[in-house]
Amino acid sequence: MTKTPYAELLAMLSRHRGVVGSFVVSERDGLAVDSNVQIGVHAEAVAALAAALHRKARLACGAAGCGVVTFLRLDAEKGGILAAGRDDLVLVTISEARANIGLLRVEMMRAAKALT
Amino acid sequence: MMTAVESWIEEPLMTFINDSRVRIAVLLESSGRVLAQHGFTRSIDVMSACALAAAIHASAAEIGRQLDGTPFKTMHHPGRERQIFLGELATGHGAHILLTVFDDATSIGLVRLYFAELSRRLAGAAAATSSAPPTLVDFESDLNRNLAKLFGRI
Amino acid sequence: MSLVNYAAREITCKIVYYGPGRSGKTSNLHYVYNQVPGDRRGSMVSLATQTDRTLFFDFLPLDLGTISGFTTRLQLYTVPGQVYYATTRKLVLQGADGVVFVADSQRRQIEENVESMQDLHANLAEQGVDARNVPLVIQYNKQDLPRELIMDVSELDDILNFRGVPFHAGDALRGTGVFETLRSISELVLRRLSGAAAPRVAVGQ
Repeated sequence: MTKTPYAELLAMLSRHRGVVGSFVVSERDGLAVDSNVQIGVHAEAVAALAAALHRKARLACGAAGCGVVTFLRLDAEKGGILAAGRDDLVLVTISEARANIGLLRVEMMRAAKALT
Repeated sequence: MMTAVESWIEEPLMTFINDSRVRIAVLLESSGRVLAQHGFTRSIDVMSACALAAAIHASAAEIGRQLDGTPFKTMHHPGRERQIFLGELATGHGAHILLTVFDDATSIGLVRLYFAELSRRLAGAAAATSSAPPTLVDFESDLNRNLAKLFGRI
Repeated sequence: MSLVNYAAREITCKIVYYGPGRSGKTSNLHYVYNQVPGDRRGSMVSLATQTDRTLFFDFLPLDLGTISGFTTRLQLYTVPGQVYYATTRKLVLQGADGVVFVADSQRRQIEENVESMQDLHANLAEQGVDARNVPLVIQYNKQDLPRELIMDVSELDDILNFRGVPFHAGDALRGTGVFETLRSISELVLRRLSGAAAPRVAVGQ
């Protein structure tokens, strides 16, 4: 399969402790442009739902006058979903509870700026 | 408001509509007849949409067969403001087609996700008990009168 | 198979107008479309070529009103008549509750009429449908043309109507026979739906 421009980025994120999978997703379509996930992760479902989440967050922040969404963090019982977007592309990671969220946040926000 | 011809369709389809946030959803037989619809105001307009959807689906499936023997089962047309997704569903009553129209309140990813879920639910839907044919008492006089009125003959 | 919604008391039936190319199938639908009030019909969908030859089908939904307590709707389809649209005709014919065979009365079209009738029966058989159970009405269209160019109804009937089904003379452009044809096929379809015994075949005019 042809490597996309995001393959290395996703591989780098997925090497972080506690990261179960990472994607680049089209916010409009909810389709994964590229993904790097462990077996058992339902990539298509996560891509579609995470894109929808990011869109809602973007609209909510816009309506609230907060400006552009820079980072989205959703904490759950066993881990969470992190997202950072630029234009129509959103970088998403699924993390377990043991992941270093702070480090991931920095790296994702840096990487998101370079998304084209 | 959703209207469905048979009860086994209602709940799965309503769940699909609520989850996917599509504007219009029509479940139809492969011959073009509507089984359930949501989003249309006139039933006569649904029939036209179904005829076209059945034709599109049949054509796409046939192209697939001609290419490599495998009929295409889904189709997506992205538009600027609205998009169409058409997919075949295997149900306990044979193959049916779902036509959806949606806008940027949702995405093709979500529509496909919930379509897959709808497929699973309808595949296991119990067969309806067969009903006796409708009793059309003295339908000839109703038919003749109604047709004559339609054609302006009375 | 007709679709019956017992809860809402609605019936929907699919009727296909079949026949060789340029026999007047689309003209039948156009006439119906122009006669029927707008609130009792939908838009006519015509998938046609630039020269108005049917490419895929024409479609016209009709609301017949209440018949025996059921809201009754008809879906009228035409098929493309040209020989090379065989696949399309099969697709459109699927699920038909009744067929109107529109024959071209011109003498030079008799072979096309016969081939089209054979094609119809072959397609029904391919779909696993016993053609004898499918309501069929024949319209001998273009009876308005000069006598020397056409075959008269009885000649055509001898050749095409081996099943002895109802038939009507027609001039679809002007509407002659269109209403009667539609009434005949609707009656046969509804009769079959209700499981009533078929009447003795009426002689067409």
